[in-house]
Amino acid sequence: MKPYRPHPRGTPWVFLAPFLLLFGVFTAWPLLRSLQLAFEQTSGPQTTVFVGLKNFRYLATDPLFWQAMENTVTFTLGTVCVQVPVALGLALLLNRPDLRGRALFRLIFFAPSLIGMVFVALLFLPMLEKRTGLVNIWLHAVYPPWNLEFAWLENYAMTALILATVWVGAGFMMVFFLAALQHVPAELLEAAHIDGAGARQRFWHIVLPELRPVLGLMTLLAIVGSMQLFELSYLLLGDTGGVSNRGLSLVMYLYQTGFTTGDLGYASAIGWVLALLLMGVAMLQRHLARRAQED
Amino acid sequence: MRRRLLPLLIYGLLAVFATLTLTPFAFLVASTVKTKADFVSTLFLPAGDGLFGVGWDRLTGENYRRIFGELHVPRALLNSCFLASVGSLLATLFSAMGGYALAKFRFPGREGIIRLVLAALIIPGPLLIAPGFQNLWRLGLLDTYAGLMLPGLAPAFGVFLFRQTMLNAVPSELIEAARIDGAGEFRIFFTLVFPLVRPMFGAFLMIMFLGIWNDYLGPQIVLQSPELYPLSTTVAMLKNLHWNDYGLVMAGTLVAIAPVMCLFLLLQREFIAGLTSGAVKG
Amino acid sequence: MLRLLSPGLWVILLLAVLSSLLVALLPVTRREGAELWTFLPTSVKHYQPVIDDWNRQHPGAPVTIKLLEYSALQRRMLSGFFAGTPTADLLEIERNIASRAFVGPLDRTGFVDLTDRVRADGLDQEIPAAGFTPWSSRGRIFGLPVGFHPVLLCYRADLVEAAGLDVSQIETWDDYFRVLRPLMADRDGDGHPDRYLISGWNTNGGFLDMLMLQADARLFDDQGRPTLDTPRNAAILARLVPWFAGPDRVAADAPDFSAAGNRQRVEGYVVGTLMPDWLAGAWKTDLPALAGRVKLMPLPAWEPGGRRTSAWGGTMIGIARTAPHVEQQWQLIKALYTSPTLAAANYRDAMIVSPLRRLRSLPFYQEPEPYFGGQRVGQLFIAQVGSMPSRPSSPFFPEAHIYVVNVLTALKQHAESIGRYDAATLEPKARELLAAAQASFVHQVARNPFLLPPP
Repeated sequence: MKPYRPHPRGTPWVFLAPFLLLFGVFTAWPLLRSLQLAFEQTSGPQTTVFVGLKNFRYLATDPLFWQAMENTVTFTLGTVCVQVPVALGLALLLNRPDLRGRALFRLIFFAPSLIGMVFVALLFLPMLEKRTGLVNIWLHAVYPPWNLEFAWLENYAMTALILATVWVGAGFMMVFFLAALQHVPAELLEAAHIDGAGARQRFWHIVLPELRPVLGLMTLLAIVGSMQLFELSYLLLGDTGGVSNRGLSLVMYLYQTGFTTGDLGYASAIGWVLALLLMGVAMLQRHLARRAQED
Repeated sequence: MRRRLLPLLIYGLLAVFATLTLTPFAFLVASTVKTKADFVSTLFLPAGDGLFGVGWDRLTGENYRRIFGELHVPRALLNSCFLASVGSLLATLFSAMGGYALAKFRFPGREGIIRLVLAALIIPGPLLIAPGFQNLWRLGLLDTYAGLMLPGLAPAFGVFLFRQTMLNAVPSELIEAARIDGAGEFRIFFTLVFPLVRPMFGAFLMIMFLGIWNDYLGPQIVLQSPELYPLSTTVAMLKNLHWNDYGLVMAGTLVAIAPVMCLFLLLQREFIAGLTSGAVKG
Repeated sequence: MLRLLSPGLWVILLLAVLSSLLVALLPVTRREGAELWTFLPTSVKHYQPVIDDWNRQHPGAPVTIKLLEYSALQRRMLSGFFAGTPTADLLEIERNIASRAFVGPLDRTGFVDLTDRVRADGLDQEIPAAGFTPWSSRGRIFGLPVGFHPVLLCYRADLVEAAGLDVSQIETWDDYFRVLRPLMADRDGDGHPDRYLISGWNTNGGFLDMLMLQADARLFDDQGRPTLDTPRNAAILARLVPWFAGPDRVAADAPDFSAAGNRQRVEGYVVGTLMPDWLAGAWKTDLPALAGRVKLMPLPAWEPGGRRTSAWGGTMIGIARTAPHVEQQWQLIKALYTSPTLAAANYRDAMIVSPLRRLRSLPFYQEPEPYFGGQRVGQLFIAQVGSMPSRPSSPFFPEAHIYVVNVLTALKQHAESIGRYDAATLEPKARELLAAAQASFVHQVARNPFLLPPP
């Protein structure tokens, strides 16, 4: 028998090396730098001036930043409130063992989530036009008083963005709900049915509690994704977010200050605010999930 | 009576939603084969006296001919294929390696790295845009594929996911047994560990592929030379250059969407299984 | 081994190998000599022969001309200027892009300061100072202008004549809307007018800028300081609201450079358009359907005896700081921008009138133009050059636009909420909104530590 040979001491480090190296150079180091950058004002990466807290002080009174914040939060709330119920509804519709063509429906609903937001924006642009756009023409056909001049991309930019996002994301979320629904114990539902619980009661008292972890996770993912809105609005509404900056998101404002005005310092400050917001949301979700588990 | 109506209602609802979901696709496909005049005057295919009342003879392949002939799209397609395939393979491989080291080895510093990975999970991408740009400028990597790809090859998310998967899916006794048989460490990883996490590998590969393929902001910031552009930036540029010829833009969009759709059909089973397994089990 | 990987994995692996090979094998285009970037297809066409000649006379550093899409040009230029990486040696850029290049310290501006060269070669005598202001920052000149871009009013002569209306008596905007009002009748009975008298919208910054410049409603003073909050600005914005809202609405949104907008122009949904010389050229290319059906006239004035023109857009050419042979490039751009042959080509194709005094008397500007019903278009534009308003040189010009658009939009919403659209009622509110905009705009401008005046 050969003597037992433990692995060489360096082995785990060899496996970890690519990750550690790349992570250090391209994530950790810039992250540390961004702490410094947030206290500087720049004109491109080569011209920098230390300005102390000026960036954050200006941030507090910058109307465009607050506009972007408001838009981003509105978009996030709108997306989550529409997308989660739609996705859950689709999953419930599909979750019947006797349903024919289930795989096909699932494929159809899932397909849009493969499309990048850039391409979604390019696709929706002609569809949302006044007078000539598919959306207005269809709405007019279904509901004749509908005004063909309805300006989706001007006065209702946020609604348009949310609708496009739901079109893309609902199927993705649905897949997760569907997988979770299949884990709901059938015996439990059977027993409740025998006990005379109606469909609604079974949903509220058995299905929904089973779904709660996935529901929380999906909501978190939707919030984190929506808070980073960029391509869709950038390409549909233009680099300043269209009329009255109604579609200007935080990331768009960050991009604009950093790369059009050249102020990477202010862009970093915006980045930190966004990061803290997202970390707050993630922590809140974790806290809620833990509390739910303890119950 | 109710038993009969319910399935009807469900199929009806599903059909409505499916139509709504598919309409943009139909619009997209129809737009690419229409002339400039038909694009503004008809919603889908132009009416005519052909089969199904469609004016088939009015359709044109002109948009595709131009997309592949005179515009930068073929080169961009190649660039996208390169960036997405090489990028996703390397990112998945590095993630799997990192996850393996953290799941199956005990060594000093392990806890620290696990904590680092967990902390990195909550760093949002936009925070790194400005300092990342300055970093690439310092390293002289602006306008290179290295500058575009390297920052994305070490996703903390991937390392975390693979570690979680390997903790359960790869029995330590198997690895020990292989070592006793004298197998090299890399051989153990590729021939023993890898097959056990293959579904996860496929799913994560697809996620990375989609992410790189659909990335717009990255190339927009890092790349300057048009011959390096992937499809996302190239097709978005078509929109500004050919606003008067939207059929062309739609053809470019379809060319950009079709490859990932095909790939998805190939990887569908492992993708959805791998995607949902972690989330649902909790 | 084959079973180890799923089909999808195999495809990606194959794709990776093949595409890596191809990407590695494809030749990298290495740049030789100098490059000129432009976003104007007409420039490529016109400059090529001149540049070919130039390259024959100056062997060793040949100049290549490249056409870039507008926003790609902006991004690549700014990215290069900010990071100090090489861009093209020569850049032909549009007004909004240009102002972005002037936000940093003067000595780090991406363009070469041309002020002394312009003076030494006497170009400041040939081109009045107003021609340089859009391309200057803190008193220094960074580019040569391709034109002045006076604005006229383009109208659907076919519709006006068919209705038996006479435009010759029009002097002011009030006259214009009064005389043409019959065109707005609702013949198809859908409850909306079939046509609107002017193409433009409260959200269109360029449109507002033209009208405000015409009215001397200025956004910056001569030193480049923001002056949003003036009684004149408030008065003009208040007078603009009923154009877009209320019972007497006369304007409709037919966006420039969009397929939907062009369709509305062809259908006659909009009758009049504010037209700088370059837009006349764009129409000739993009809207052949309107050939012979449109005519030009001086802009209706805001008050009797007022200015009958304005200015919009424009293009400059400048030399990048990273260019190795500045003197040689200066000779080239001078040759391009002062050549009578190119001026003629630029007029015939793009309808742009040269800013040089001595070229403006050339005979081709007198030729009748069939597209505009046989009018002497060059002459019509040149006649307005003398009364053109002076334009600001602030790098914050695009931001100022956004502020004004937002004020007007808010004012319009205010009018709709109170149901009153007369200027007198709206003026105080306009003043209030402008004061708030001015405050945050000044705050924003003051933040930039790099915009210091020259020592």
